[in-house]
Amino acid sequence: MTAPGDSATAPFNPMSLAGRRVLVTGASSGIGRATAQLLAKLGAHVIATGRDADRLAATIETLDGDGHESAAFDLSTIDAIPPFVQKLAGEGGALAGIAHCAGIQIGKPVRVTDQAFMDQIFRVNVESGIALARGLRQRGVAAPGAGLVLLSSVSALVGQASNVVYCASKGAVLAATKALAVELMRDGIRVNAVLPALVETEMAERFRATMTETQWQGYVAQYPMGIGRPEDIANAVGFLLSDASRWINGIGLVVDGGVLAG
Amino acid sequence: MQAEAFLREIESALELPAGSLTGNEQLADIPEWDSLAVISFIALVDEKLGLAVDGEALANAGTVGDLLALVHEKLAA
Repeated sequence: MTAPGDSATAPFNPMSLAGRRVLVTGASSGIGRATAQLLAKLGAHVIATGRDADRLAATIETLDGDGHESAAFDLSTIDAIPPFVQKLAGEGGALAGIAHCAGIQIGKPVRVTDQAFMDQIFRVNVESGIALARGLRQRGVAAPGAGLVLLSSVSALVGQASNVVYCASKGAVLAATKALAVELMRDGIRVNAVLPALVETEMAERFRATMTETQWQGYVAQYPMGIGRPEDIANAVGFLLSDASRWINGIGLVVDGGVLAG
Repeated sequence: MQAEAFLREIESALELPAGSLTGNEQLADIPEWDSLAVISFIALVDEKLGLAVDGEALANAGTVGDLLALVHEKLAA
């Protein structure tokens, strides 16, 4: 185990996560899987979580290095999250960070939006992140310099028709990030958010399948640098978990290929 | 789900009176069938039938019956 700069032979890497245990949610696919892969490349010991044990095992197989773990868990059981996090730390050692990549997007106009739908989206996208923060700040859970990274979205900043509940949930994630950053400072935990625009994931593929080719081309034309790759988001998450971002707290880092710039 | 019950779901999504659709209506003649209704229909099919609607096929649908045909595999006879 080496810290950045410890070795005379290894090149200096300010984003090194060597030897640090990091929990990654939503690790079975998309941004979560790419994040698990990047963190492993940076030297982290990854604990991959998601609902499906088989899919998690498939993610673990793609990770560089040894000793990574999978822990199947349903994040919609909100009150079970803090004990789950405590158990992980108790069994394997303190956590240096959590990358909360699990989330859902379902497009629905307000005319067909009901309580069950809103509850579902807010539970998965908002409540789970707050419960993970509660989990991480418990006694003995967070290693010194620990960080929590939540996934918000550019949908927190720009309104989209048929996406009101998702937009509201990602706006709530951004607000929660700031409030948590202030509250958890005394625990030595930094909290930041990443705000991606559309990224090539299984989720985006389902979205694309419901459009005609012409509609899709019209949508993609809004992206001056093309749509993103999962690793573009993973790189931002890795940065915010590493000591390279030691003095960055409570921000929403937009990663959107320049969409909001124009 | 029966086709009849699914028609009632479409009516609800389009905010049409219950029982107003038979399947023969031209979508172009239904003012409520707008771009947001299309997304409502996609979400309805996903939620109630667990099916992803194909965008090209949906764009080619001319009648309410064509919408039912898109999901026929999931509708009880």
